[in-house]
Amino acid sequence: MVMAAPAFGQAIGQGFELERGGRYADAAAVYLTTLRSDPANLPALLGLERVLPILSRLPELLPLVQRARAAVPENGTLRALELRVYAQMNEPDSLEAAARRWAAVAPRSDAPYREWALALADRRMFDDARRVLLLGRRTLGGGTTVLAIESAELEQRVENWEGAAREWGHVVALAADMIPQASSQLSDTPAPQRARVVAALSPPDAAPRTQRLAAELLLGWGQAAEGWRLFEQSLGAPSAETATALRRFADLAGAVATPAGHRVRGLALARWADLVPSPLAERARAEAVRELLDGGDRAGARAALERLAADSLAPADAKAMAEAALLEVLIADGQLDAAERRLAAAGVALGGDDRAGLRLQLARARVTRGELDRAAKLLSGDSSVAALAEQGWIALYRGDLRGATEAFRAAGPYAGERAAATERTAMLALVQQVPADSLPALGAALLTLARGDSAGAVTALRRVAANLEPGGGRSDVLLLAGQLAARLGGAPNEATAIAVFDEIVRAGGSGAAPPAAELEWARVLVRQGRAAEAVQRLEHLILSYPGSAFIPEARRDLERARGVIPKS
Amino acid sequence: MRRRDFVRVTSAGMMGAFFPSFHHSLVPSLLIPMDDSQSDHLKAYGLAYRVIDAGLKAEWLLNYQGGAFLLPDAESIRRDAALSGVRADPVDGGRVTAIRGEIEANNMDAVPLEKAPKVAVYAPPNAAPWDDAVTMALQYAGIPFTKIWDPEVVSGGLKDFDWLHLHHEDFTGQYSKFFLIYSGMPWLADMVQRNADTARRLGFATVPDLKKAVARGIHDYVANGGFLFAMCTATETIDLALAAHGVDIAATFADGTPMDPQADAKLDWSQTFAFTGAHLEPNPLVATFSDIDGHQVNAGPRRQPLGAFKLFNFSAKIDPVPTMLVQDHRQVIPDFYGLTTSFVRARLKPGVTVLADEEGAPWVKYVHGDLGKGTWTFFGGHDPEDPQHQIGDPPTDLSLHPHSPGYRLILNNVLFPAAKKRELKT
Repeated sequence: MVMAAPAFGQAIGQGFELERGGRYADAAAVYLTTLRSDPANLPALLGLERVLPILSRLPELLPLVQRARAAVPENGTLRALELRVYAQMNEPDSLEAAARRWAAVAPRSDAPYREWALALADRRMFDDARRVLLLGRRTLGGGTTVLAIESAELEQRVENWEGAAREWGHVVALAADMIPQASSQLSDTPAPQRARVVAALSPPDAAPRTQRLAAELLLGWGQAAEGWRLFEQSLGAPSAETATALRRFADLAGAVATPAGHRVRGLALARWADLVPSPLAERARAEAVRELLDGGDRAGARAALERLAADSLAPADAKAMAEAALLEVLIADGQLDAAERRLAAAGVALGGDDRAGLRLQLARARVTRGELDRAAKLLSGDSSVAALAEQGWIALYRGDLRGATEAFRAAGPYAGERAAATERTAMLALVQQVPADSLPALGAALLTLARGDSAGAVTALRRVAANLEPGGGRSDVLLLAGQLAARLGGAPNEATAIAVFDEIVRAGGSGAAPPAAELEWARVLVRQGRAAEAVQRLEHLILSYPGSAFIPEARRDLERARGVIPKS
Repeated sequence: MRRRDFVRVTSAGMMGAFFPSFHHSLVPSLLIPMDDSQSDHLKAYGLAYRVIDAGLKAEWLLNYQGGAFLLPDAESIRRDAALSGVRADPVDGGRVTAIRGEIEANNMDAVPLEKAPKVAVYAPPNAAPWDDAVTMALQYAGIPFTKIWDPEVVSGGLKDFDWLHLHHEDFTGQYSKFFLIYSGMPWLADMVQRNADTARRLGFATVPDLKKAVARGIHDYVANGGFLFAMCTATETIDLALAAHGVDIAATFADGTPMDPQADAKLDWSQTFAFTGAHLEPNPLVATFSDIDGHQVNAGPRRQPLGAFKLFNFSAKIDPVPTMLVQDHRQVIPDFYGLTTSFVRARLKPGVTVLADEEGAPWVKYVHGDLGKGTWTFFGGHDPEDPQHQIGDPPTDLSLHPHSPGYRLILNNVLFPAAKKRELKT
């Protein structure tokens, strides 16, 4: 019985498998067999292009390609393959002759010049490739836009980013839909060359689209404000293209998680809102307000809010968002009375969560002014855990340690952000060390801190500590003073911090304060470049307090101080 | 100290007869467990090293509690352990006797550690300490080492060291075949310049010629009793360089001439450490060297996925050396890539000891053998805690991996030259 010959597809598939397995000679045999029955079989020819160079048998490919090309002269892929084979065989004259023959039969096509240049570039003959592209440009007579993408890619390959930018500029000036590709290609520009790339794309007479490309690049490199300036200049009369460009810029800014990124996104959305119909416009404006606030641009947010407030067509959710944003602006601007009145008047126009959140913000703002009674009044009817936590702080600032403890316990560990919960827990631990229900001096010192006067708080806390017993929270209050002084930085503050930490460590005791103080002390020493002294402190800490929860941190700091683990 | 012969004892309990140690008296000791109860496996090696470096005796309890160490009990050692975060349990003489009884009755052994090896790491002068896994492990464990490079090797400087580590050096002199892929990158330009200058200064016509001479120097160092530990691409390329004496296996970009088309047939595998019969990768654009590596990480469709490798069990009393090299608290370890990740089993020379392999795969991960009076160990891959390591990745912070079973294998290699010579029973 005679086995049926495998179909072509099966046979060539076998060649691919052999190639994948690294059996190049066997794969070549399969491809050659395929070509014997089908001389123009493209997959087989391309397979040979891959494997024969590895086997040092590339010259075998040339006659096969020539035969295939003669059989199908109009096939561009075969023509391109012929060029690549000449290039790989290092025969530039034959390569040129073949390319010119192709150009002669396809006089209006840019393919011969493109493939010719690519074949040269793959052989790292970049100058020759550039000459070919210029020849194509001249021959085809289309000016700088002909073969511009190929020229851009070639310049990029030789690290001429400025040249690549110029070529991409030609491309996008004609076709706005090429901006994303150009932007993606040029985004890899090394940092030292970025300024020159931007300059190449934004000369005084630059086309708006080219300028827009530069703006996108700046945005992607984190220079959001500079990008927006350039982008804004490129915006012409309202049009569908302008609207698309604004939306794209806003979306791109969404990936820049900096205040400037938020602000630019807000500005772009606000401009976009002017170009799109309702209700898209109102929603965009509301989102713009949020972004502008996140970006710290309260003036811009207000302007957008005014537009929204004046818009009778704005849907209720957009209006509510605008109202909440406006209240935030007022609170941040310190117009607390106005904010309080507006909040009371807003009623059900605001959602319950928004109302509660704004009330909390207002209460905190009152606290930072020292208006504890007004803050407490704002929260009096609120039994949420967030409000309880804030009530705990108010009690603490009044010196009511028992009330603070009860409120913090009632708020539990989950109210607010993780950092706030950690801060609350640390304060609870400190308060519990003080054997008194009330200590107004401590509350006043902590209020000083809450109002942003850290230096004043350090002095006040040290004064409070001086009146406490060694086992009655003295070290814990001192620790907080030392930590604040260390955080303030600068030689005098760090000297204060070290003196405070030294006092705590000398006093000793079984609480958490001595190892914590020694760890902070070591960190100050490291910051001052006194690594050897830091090592001594950390070793003392590890050996003296083997059961302390600070030991893992201390060991890690010890390794860093010794230079054993990389800085992270 | 040069290499001490690890001559295999043929019966249990021989060690005690020849080498009565301090532990046989009933003095208190510190047991450093190396099973899951240890709080920092990697630093435990450093502690043991420092004890023997101080001239004290220690013992490595093979297969006992994950390869525990028995150290003398001294205040300074307790302090060192506490600062390092290494768990050290005080044990009295009675407990030591009980441990010895358990060791006697099981596939375990107690190997005396007598002298800290002098460690050299072969790396270019500008290499950051975080460039390779071994320097990171040594730094983290607190084991001192000296960096050496081509001039030291060529001038015979290796004789001053007991233990030599190689990592990602390309001994074929082709800059890891990154020349075309990373063309224009400053770090590569610096590497090329530095190597070319060194070759010129030492009187070699090309960098591949220099690297072949360095490979030969390392070969002779091992043959004369040195311990060699290599990872990543140094494993594969040092053998290729040794096999290619007088044969051009470097691409044009490295030495100005193309690879000899008949290079495969001309390679002399009798000169190599571990491999035989390999085929060279002829394409200069493919950053792989030969078919020794099973994973072919940079070879496009030939690239193989990562699995896990399994450490072999050896008889501690009969094969103490391989037993030392596989001491670990994990038997199966996730694999990790390197320019050379693994070694195809069919390319190993007869007589090579396989220490770890991937079950069902045609490659092995960790191999060991003797050459002349010395020994060598090859471990595939770049960084056990960075499986996909890419150029430019941030360095591994070992304080986040104090129990790394892969890094333990590296440190086994550092410590095993400290083990005391044994006499043959017969």
